[in-house]
Amino acid sequence: MITEKMRTAAKDLLEKGEVTTVIGWEKGTFWYNSTPVFISKPEEVDRLVFDEFCANNLAKYLMDYRNAEGKTAVFVKGCDARGVNRLVQDYQVNRDKVFLIGIPCSGMKEAPKTAEKQDSSKLPLLKKCQECATPNPVVYDLLLGDPVSERQVPDRFSGVEAIEGKTADEKYAYWQSMHSQCIRCYACRNACPACNCRECCFDANGLNWLGKQNNVQENQMFAMTRAMHVAGRCIECGECERVCPMGLPIMEINRKILKDINELFGPQDAGMSLEDKPALGQFKLDDPEKFM
Amino acid sequence: MSLNSEALPKSQEVTAAPEASNQPWEPKIVGFACNWCTYAGADLAGLSRLQYPPSIRLIRVPCSGRTNPQFIIRAFQRGADGVLVAGCHPGDCHYSTGNYFTRRRFLLMQRLLEYMGIDPARFQARWISGSEGPKFQQVVTQMTEDIKALGPNRKMRDVE
Repeated sequence: MITEKMRTAAKDLLEKGEVTTVIGWEKGTFWYNSTPVFISKPEEVDRLVFDEFCANNLAKYLMDYRNAEGKTAVFVKGCDARGVNRLVQDYQVNRDKVFLIGIPCSGMKEAPKTAEKQDSSKLPLLKKCQECATPNPVVYDLLLGDPVSERQVPDRFSGVEAIEGKTADEKYAYWQSMHSQCIRCYACRNACPACNCRECCFDANGLNWLGKQNNVQENQMFAMTRAMHVAGRCIECGECERVCPMGLPIMEINRKILKDINELFGPQDAGMSLEDKPALGQFKLDDPEKFM
Repeated sequence: MSLNSEALPKSQEVTAAPEASNQPWEPKIVGFACNWCTYAGADLAGLSRLQYPPSIRLIRVPCSGRTNPQFIIRAFQRGADGVLVAGCHPGDCHYSTGNYFTRRRFLLMQRLLEYMGIDPARFQARWISGSEGPKFQQVVTQMTEDIKALGPNRKMRDVE
């Protein structure tokens, strides 16, 4: 039903020439994949679909179209909409050149372990969708379907608190065991709407910000640097964790920073509106003074 | 970036020293000092002949806000036992607001390091003005004592 509305809306926009490209999802190789698709001809709109496997956050793809002529339309779920706000706030994308088609989302499902039965009803929700507090797009130009009701979500900081309760040596051992698995594919960075630098410091060879060898220390440096770079700007879409081929708990680091920001500088939710500036891009004269 | 292995001597020298001689182990502290306040404060400490442990290696930065979180991680990787970031008191920044950003950033950084298993005493930020030579002496002395109590840093090290 949403799929039909998507196709109609996309066809309308392309035929009227309001947009030059529509970014959406199409059916992938398997019944449990839906992959991003970029449509510029009205006759191709039938490729568009929306089902319970459209997990990709499409906001990041706007980076590839920011210098394109005309407008780009993009379908946004709750998390994608916050990602668009992130990019607009970081001056990466011009809001006037983007047409947002909102889709309320009731959660995406995990790919099955075995591909035998084509039954998606029994599959569990993705971890990022179980924890999602914004199923409805926070910003859109056109909304398809009715807003879904907010889900009961587990306490988002419970995982962080569990790690905080450990001793220093246990914490260190835990993160060493995690970061020793990292293969530094940078998938987390590539999927992240907050990682939108034109040249990433990890790609800059000459400056040697990060050694090229894959060892625990460098992996740890990568993880901590990325956490500090997205500090106060992370929109909690959980894409980093979803795309991680090693299944590392990346959001446990991002949420730790978010928890500290909430404790130290007051409640912050990045990407909910364009007015809220990132926590590390502003200050108050009466911020907590722990250093003296 | 001058924080390569040449700038920070390798850890063998630190750890091998106690066996080689009977000298007690001395911690290595990397200090990022703001050009306008703390560096002048350190200079004043020197001019006033104030004694403080030689464990600190100062790196002059234009503003405490110049200190990138990566500098700190790299310092620990390359053998520092402690890192100090020091700048002007809030309100006194040469660039008006740099140290307010420093304060937010390193409050988070210190907690992140603690989350990763690094003792928060190993990473400190302090406000030391150009006239506070005695405070510089006291901060370095205190930090050296704290880190001596903790012992050499083995975590996050790249060099063994």
